[in-house]
Amino acid sequence: MSARAGRGRDPGWREQPAARIAPVDSPPEGPDELLRQVARGDDQAFTALYDAIAPRVYGLARRVLRDPAQAEEVAQEALVEVWRTAARFDPGKGSATSWVLTITHRRAVDRVRAAQAGADRERRVAAASVETPYDDVVEEVTASLEQQQVRRCLKGLTDLQREAITLAYYDGYTYREVAEKLDTALSTIKTRMRDGLIRLRDCLGVSVA
Amino acid sequence: MSQPTEIHTLAGAYALDALAEIERAGFARHIAECEACATEVAELSETASRLSAAAWEVPPSRLRNAVLAEISHTRQVTGGTVERAVQGDVRRWRRWTAAAVAAGVVALGGMATVWVVQEQRVGDARQQAQQLRTDQARLNAVLAASDLRLRTSDVPGGGTVTVAISPSLNDGVALMSNLPAPPEGKAYQLWLIQGESPTSAGVMAAGQRTGTAVLDTIGGADTLGLTLEPVGGSPLPTMTPIAGVPLA
Repeated sequence: MSARAGRGRDPGWREQPAARIAPVDSPPEGPDELLRQVARGDDQAFTALYDAIAPRVYGLARRVLRDPAQAEEVAQEALVEVWRTAARFDPGKGSATSWVLTITHRRAVDRVRAAQAGADRERRVAAASVETPYDDVVEEVTASLEQQQVRRCLKGLTDLQREAITLAYYDGYTYREVAEKLDTALSTIKTRMRDGLIRLRDCLGVSVA
Repeated sequence: MSQPTEIHTLAGAYALDALAEIERAGFARHIAECEACATEVAELSETASRLSAAAWEVPPSRLRNAVLAEISHTRQVTGGTVERAVQGDVRRWRRWTAAAVAAGVVALGGMATVWVVQEQRVGDARQQAQQLRTDQARLNAVLAASDLRLRTSDVPGGGTVTVAISPSLNDGVALMSNLPAPPEGKAYQLWLIQGESPTSAGVMAAGQRTGTAVLDTIGGADTLGLTLEPVGGSPLPTMTPIAGVPLA
């Protein structure tokens, strides 16, 4: 690239050395890079991505669905969707990890809501620790740094913010259902979800390119 | 930027997947037209995803086999964000390139040593780093210019060359994406061509298929051409360009 610096503007040919072009696709590394390779049909990159991210995917599906067999099905659907639609990943809108987990979460939530009419949902609702969803989360938190950070930041929310967010994210309730459960006005729940997430964002130091 | 506050308050519920189907679709339409909202939603979605750290759980090993078996016979959707965005929404495209460019510069950090060995004629590493910073600043300036113009050409065999030019800055950048793997011993080289007269605008590394280049002295050049040359580049093109992007 520096070849041109200090060179005159010859009207015709220009001698070497030619400028170097910055590579964009190397070296292989984290989920973002792996996902870009997956988008090009690289199944080895997909395997590496699977190994890096499957516990997050399965764990999230299990958290929302409770039932291990259903969680496995949803995790499989989500991971195959990641393979299928990898070309749609837009790094300008967030990390690859978040993209994969958003796909997973949406599928898990859709599955839960599809079962809403059945007794299945009733059992699930009973099993969900409606009073203290946060304690339920804490119980399973292990010592990883990220988990500790999430736990610490959840603690920094108001009770209503925390309950609204955990009921929606971990249990798959709509904000209308959350409002009903917590006996709070719809507009308040909407607002608490948003300002709670904003507080979490700042606490976790999340930013998007 | 003003937006209806009413719908905007749904950003949190949207990021948590806590909207019913119809509301979700309505809100998705809203953020497609509101850049500030799109940014906030992107950040809140990223934040929500972090909550899944608390749910980490090792899946049964059969899941791995099942997933890998299924993807081996599952076709991928092609024509991702880049292509659609270049044709459609320039702002989105800019965000994408900014991220891709940032990734490229990061990747470059890891490769600096290799480059010093390969490019001793160019000077020491500090000079190279300085040059890269200058190029990066120019790249950002071009991509942010209000009169940014985009031209894309498909490369036979796959991939695209996109040129972004700002006439007011008299500066431009080229972005090569997923070009076909060059044959052994060959590398892609860019040429600014004015009439019959080509000037090298950069050579890619052996095997390199994706990259960005700041274009110098576009001046009166009417075409950006791409050729395959021996690794290290040629003083003059040894073939007619396999792809050309009109600059006018």
